[in-house]
Amino acid sequence: MPFARFSLVAVIALLVGGCASNSPVLGGKNISYGDTKAVELVTNEFGSTDLQMIAETMTRSLAQSGILQGRPVVQVYDVKNKTSEYIDTREITTSIKTQLMKSGTARFASDNTDLQSQVDQLKLQNQSGLYKKSTVSKTGNMVAAKYRLEGSISSIVKRSSDVKDVFYKFSLQLIDVESGLAEWMDEKEIRKTTER
Amino acid sequence: MRIKILSLMALALLVGCATTPAPAPGSAASKVASLGSLKHTEIGPMRVARENGFLTVKAALSNTSSSNQTLYYRFAWLGNDGFPVADEESWKSLTLYGAQTSYLTAIAPVPKATDFRIEVKTP
Repeated sequence: MPFARFSLVAVIALLVGGCASNSPVLGGKNISYGDTKAVELVTNEFGSTDLQMIAETMTRSLAQSGILQGRPVVQVYDVKNKTSEYIDTREITTSIKTQLMKSGTARFASDNTDLQSQVDQLKLQNQSGLYKKSTVSKTGNMVAAKYRLEGSISSIVKRSSDVKDVFYKFSLQLIDVESGLAEWMDEKEIRKTTER
Repeated sequence: MRIKILSLMALALLVGCATTPAPAPGSAASKVASLGSLKHTEIGPMRVARENGFLTVKAALSNTSSSNQTLYYRFAWLGNDGFPVADEESWKSLTLYGAQTSYLTAIAPVPKATDFRIEVKTP
């Protein structure tokens, strides 16, 4: 009988242990962290899932195409937003750049947004006379891009009394800077429909 | 009494770990991790190839019912050791019309990926 009592106590202790209120959470009854990869269907405007799907599809298609042999230097341009809504297209480019970088298939030249800081830093090092000669990065050694990556996103929106349909088309192309030839191109289509 | 209690405890432990028999390793079924039941969905043949250094997968997914079905899926890319080699993918939504077979295609994000799992969830 003492064994039975002991077992009962052990089981209860186990159960209680699982529910102990020693959680590392402070406040926030209505707040929670969600899955960043979840399919987001809050409204049918451009959303996180669209951004993730576009970046994923484009990067993988480009990486696997075989065009990027020997890790060429690529310059990324902003994606043109031809839709009727505001989209931070810089984030699409950043995601594509990050994922290509992680896949190890390309290197990236300073693009239009960070070129100014790069030039400023080079000028500061070489012209100010502030730095020790042996540590100064020399001018004239920046690597030029072999390819440029350019894209655009456009949308078709249709509304009736009970349906709103949005169709997005994202296209991306890789252009050889020297020849001006488009060497690779792909597009991703997304349809989102809301029925009232 | 002691034996009874012991056997009850053992049973409780076992119930928590009970699973159906595992599919044969290397088979198409072993590549699918379903979150919940996959009623009216059948996972057909898969084609795996390495193209330009990246693992490429094509998998057939059939709707066995006559009504349309929406499901969510994503691929997980694994290395030689069976652990993921890349960040988690975003979930994708797929609509299958009644009795339709659709082919999912996916490309691994990194050349290191040597194996994969398809996570499927019906709403």
